Amino acid sequence: MLKLYFLLYYEFFKIGIFAIGGGYAALPFLYFIQSKYNWFSVDELTNMIAVSNITPGPIGINMATYTGYTTAGVIGSLIATCAIESAPFIFSITIMKVYDKFKSCSAVNAVFNGLRPASCALLSAIGLQLLYKTCVTQNPFVIDYKAVILFVILMIPFSFMKKQPLMAIIAGALGGIILNQL
Amino acid sequence: MKKISLWEIYKIFFIIGIQLLGGGYVILPLLRKYIVEERNWLSEEELVDYFALSQCTPGIIAGNISMFSGYKARGIFGALTAILGIITPSFFAIILLANILNGAIENKIVQDAFWGIRISVIVLVIVTVKDMWAKSVYSRFTSIIFIVVLIALLFFPISPAIVILLSAIAAVLHSKVIGGKNA
Repeated sequence: MLKLYFLLYYEFFKIGIFAIGGGYAALPFLYFIQSKYNWFSVDELTNMIAVSNITPGPIGINMATYTGYTTAGVIGSLIATCAIESAPFIFSITIMKVYDKFKSCSAVNAVFNGLRPASCALLSAIGLQLLYKTCVTQNPFVIDYKAVILFVILMIPFSFMKKQPLMAIIAGALGGIILNQL
Repeated sequence: MKKISLWEIYKIFFIIGIQLLGGGYVILPLLRKYIVEERNWLSEEELVDYFALSQCTPGIIAGNISMFSGYKARGIFGALTAILGIITPSFFAIILLANILNGAIENKIVQDAFWGIRISVIVLVIVTVKDMWAKSVYSRFTSIIFIVVLIALLFFPISPAIVILLSAIAAVLHSKVIGGKNA
């Protein structure tokens, strides 16, 4: 159990260091943790991400709390939440101390030139992999037309709107019930 | 100026945490209302600066901006109190929801709903990528990083942390080369 707590802290501490650009930047790391440790299934993880979207609080914190809870109960959720904020806490304090220098430092800007597209690509890869896994069943190779239809129906309005997580999730839930119950 | 009490900081960030629904960007108007307009802990300019800074420093945006604001109000303990305040509502809400869902997940209708919700998550991920795109891929160098990372991740099981580290190194090397030409 102690080893599990330690691993949990270690993995979420890493997310705090390397996830750049908001809560969604943590997603690729969570899927990586899933494939490495199997603490939860891919579907469970996606469900947790969905719930985190519609729960009060920052999505990244919600995801850490939820995955930590699923992995190791209340203590697990505390560990994951503290771990994900440990490194940013140290960064924030340090940055505030050298705030004016940091703002105009061209070396820092140069690094972010590389970090932002990498973070964007990480998320793209997760999106494509999830889409593929949801729409195509392996062995036998079958395309899940219901999933494709729902994806297209949701994609059309939501790609034009400002991000509306709550609406998107309610629409998805209704679509899921209607398509599967018919 | 009168010293701001830690309890006051905790309370404000707890209240902001409760109202935070739908991602990091929602925190900006809340902070503006509670700590710029009503309490004057920061100026409007500082808030905008902190927001920009939160997006490009590691960690969750809402968490980062809370810690910056907390620090401005009351130093290190202010930052710590702010992050604790913002975490608390998440913690109780998630544990409550997790327990309700564990009981309901056997139900066929709930399962169908979650099947649809998983597709919503994919849509949300793609929409987020679209939002990030404009701010992150804007030059030949950033396009190359994007394409290389995307291809590498789709075909090889690489740790995201390694990807971020290598991209940072590439960016530093790139700026050294460019810096020589442009400076």
